[in-house]
Amino acid sequence: MHNQAIVEIHNLQKKYGQKQVLHGIDLTIASGQIIGYIGPNGAGKSTTVKILCGLISEFQGQITIFGKDLRTQTLEIKRQVGYIPENAVLYESLTPMEFMEFIGEMRGLGTEQTRQKAEALMNIFEMKPNLHQRIATFSKGMRQKVLICSALLHNPDLIFMDEPLSGLDANSVIMVKEMLIHLAREGKTVFYSSHLMDVVEKISDRIILIDQGKVIADGSFDELNKHSNDDNLEKMFTRLTGNTNHGEKAEAFINAFEK
Amino acid sequence: MIRFLLSLFTPFRWFIEKMGADYNQFIHILRLKLTLDDRRVNQFSKKKENAQGKTLMKQALFQIVMGIFFALFVILVKSPFTFYYFSHTFIMVMMAMMIISEFTTILFDTSENAIIQPLPIKGNTINLARNTHIFLYLLLMAFNLSVLTFIVACFKFGVFSGLIFLFTIFLNVLFTLFLTNILYLGIMRIASGERLKNMLMYFQVIIAIVFMAAYQIGVKMVDRTEISNMILPIHWYTYLLPPAFFSGLTEAISTLTFDTSHLIFVAEALIIPPLAIFFTGKYLTPIFNRKLMDLEQGDRVSKVKIETQVNSLYYRIMASIFVRRQEEQAAFKMMWKMTGRERQFKQTFLPTLGYILIMVIAPNLGKKENLNEIIQGDSYLLILYVFMIIGFTVCNSLLIGKNQASTWIFISLPLSSPADFFKGTIKATFAKFFVPFYLAIGTLLTALWGIKILPDVIIVFLFIYLGTLLTYYLQQPGFPFSIEKMAAQGGSNVMKMFGLMALTAALGFIHYLMGQWFTGANLLLIPIYAGAIVYVNRTMVYKMITWKAVDQVNNFS
Repeated sequence: MHNQAIVEIHNLQKKYGQKQVLHGIDLTIASGQIIGYIGPNGAGKSTTVKILCGLISEFQGQITIFGKDLRTQTLEIKRQVGYIPENAVLYESLTPMEFMEFIGEMRGLGTEQTRQKAEALMNIFEMKPNLHQRIATFSKGMRQKVLICSALLHNPDLIFMDEPLSGLDANSVIMVKEMLIHLAREGKTVFYSSHLMDVVEKISDRIILIDQGKVIADGSFDELNKHSNDDNLEKMFTRLTGNTNHGEKAEAFINAFEK
Repeated sequence: MIRFLLSLFTPFRWFIEKMGADYNQFIHILRLKLTLDDRRVNQFSKKKENAQGKTLMKQALFQIVMGIFFALFVILVKSPFTFYYFSHTFIMVMMAMMIISEFTTILFDTSENAIIQPLPIKGNTINLARNTHIFLYLLLMAFNLSVLTFIVACFKFGVFSGLIFLFTIFLNVLFTLFLTNILYLGIMRIASGERLKNMLMYFQVIIAIVFMAAYQIGVKMVDRTEISNMILPIHWYTYLLPPAFFSGLTEAISTLTFDTSHLIFVAEALIIPPLAIFFTGKYLTPIFNRKLMDLEQGDRVSKVKIETQVNSLYYRIMASIFVRRQEEQAAFKMMWKMTGRERQFKQTFLPTLGYILIMVIAPNLGKKENLNEIIQGDSYLLILYVFMIIGFTVCNSLLIGKNQASTWIFISLPLSSPADFFKGTIKATFAKFFVPFYLAIGTLLTALWGIKILPDVIIVFLFIYLGTLLTYYLQQPGFPFSIEKMAAQGGSNVMKMFGLMALTAALGFIHYLMGQWFTGANLLLIPIYAGAIVYVNRTMVYKMITWKAVDQVNNFS
């Protein structure tokens, strides 16, 4: 299963009204990898993820996932995919167990199986005592943990994550990072969209940088760093996106509010 | 409009500053609140993109039209006291309704605290701006509702009398503001956090039922031919009724009548509202705001309730009768729980159960027949068909809520059609909120009228089930609790509802006629309705509830 091409994107384009968000993205993603998908705000990261998860159905270009056409075989693809969105908006009047039961049953899992899995997954996040409390009472990090557990309930082969660590405490962040590495070892593919450069640098087998809807860099950190001497991904990111004058901007900012 | 409203405060700058508020900050806060109101999504501007202002103006027009209907009712009244008494009662009732439906949200809205509290603004300024905002809203509403009544009053009792009427409206609004503060503080004293929110919801439900009962029974009791000559008698308790203060003052000044009764009314009208508002500003508002802060904090630290799993026998029986497919079952279970927890749903739907009781009782009020005579007739059919209201209301109530952002979950799931989810949703709500009440009334009526009406009870049950499914599948196909209240209650939904109501009346009449035709003729309706239910559930729903249709309501893409 390892290193088979499971996602193939050819000339992906997307427009919101008159605004072109994606300008022809071409990618091939192999199984068993963690893909760090990075880019500045508004670069088109979330749009790409939503298209690949089947949340946005109107786009131009060709996408096949697990050899299936995303346009015509969306349901088959969704069955094998897990998605963790950027904003953890859940039905607040439900409890995590009720929410996950619903997700599990909708995905064709049995109630008992879903309950056992939900309990086990939530236990890892030390949230077993919260399983029967309403989500309305949860902090952002707790909601994020519910989302992560829900996305993994059906044991997906491909996991899309849009800022999955948002709001998580330090221990949970470490745990999720380890979990992603383990999942990749088992042959799962993780498509990880984030702004957290240090995390992406540490866990990603491959880093894809997009800016203004185009891929501007693609490879492992070492490959990308071959022809430059950036100490870390953050520096590489600022260089490639053409934003190296942060010091000047900070000074201008201070001048503006001190005036 | 906002600029005009704000300009009205310029002459009162000294007074505002005297109350301990910063005038400029007061105006800025008020402008912010009015601008937000003007852009609020309501029945006058259903889509956010269309809500670029003008809401206040449209709302004013709507209220003026409502006032016209009222003016047509009081135009016949000859006595000035009675005329103004009715007018002030109308204004107070409408304000109460407004406070209940709209201002509870505004009164308990603490979202601005996060923005305004960190700023260097005195508590007095915030308090005054909050109360002025509510006062302004109510005053505008009261004046709009009274435009035609004012014109009628000018013609009937003279311009001077009309102008005094306008002045008393001002006093009336001040007094209502005081009453609102007292009422809500009272409620906040006995509860906090989630319990308070639930109490408020039930309080709103009860008030809605009381208004409906007052309207239905009141209309029934009033003899319209006597309205023109009606003169309200003055008892000791009349001096305690706020509309009497204001109508007494208007009559006293406009007719220059200053006997003891009128002098008492004049004193009450001129002294009580200003005193009440002084008391509100000085003592009640600071307590109210403190309680509000507690409420906000209380929510964060409130004791977490552990929810129990759905396992009641009734639930299991209903689930086994109503749902088959796994997606339907999942939706059925989820909605069974959520409908019991979503406050807005309960607030919209629960009054219906009270309305049904009123609609069953009101037509029989004043009738001289005894029970034995009643059960000789066919009035049981009417009682059974009244339950269709549950079907109509439940469908619309299911749309209303603040979960628009949570609907992403459905599109991320491998569902070929959203129809199964919709089926599970309406079936759970029908089984939970209709079936037990209908079973109870059906059993009671069968006990009274005899077993011979059982086929009719079954026919009406099938009809209401079919009608509920049709109503739900034909209205805007939005996921449950994902549309704002005002947007859900209007436009095409209302038209479809009227169409289905007319259809209900027509089919109910056919049912009645078939019963009269020959014995057992009505039984023909059972296979017809059963067949229609099967068709709607197996075919029609999949044509109506498509991803494309749902997307137009919930805007996924």
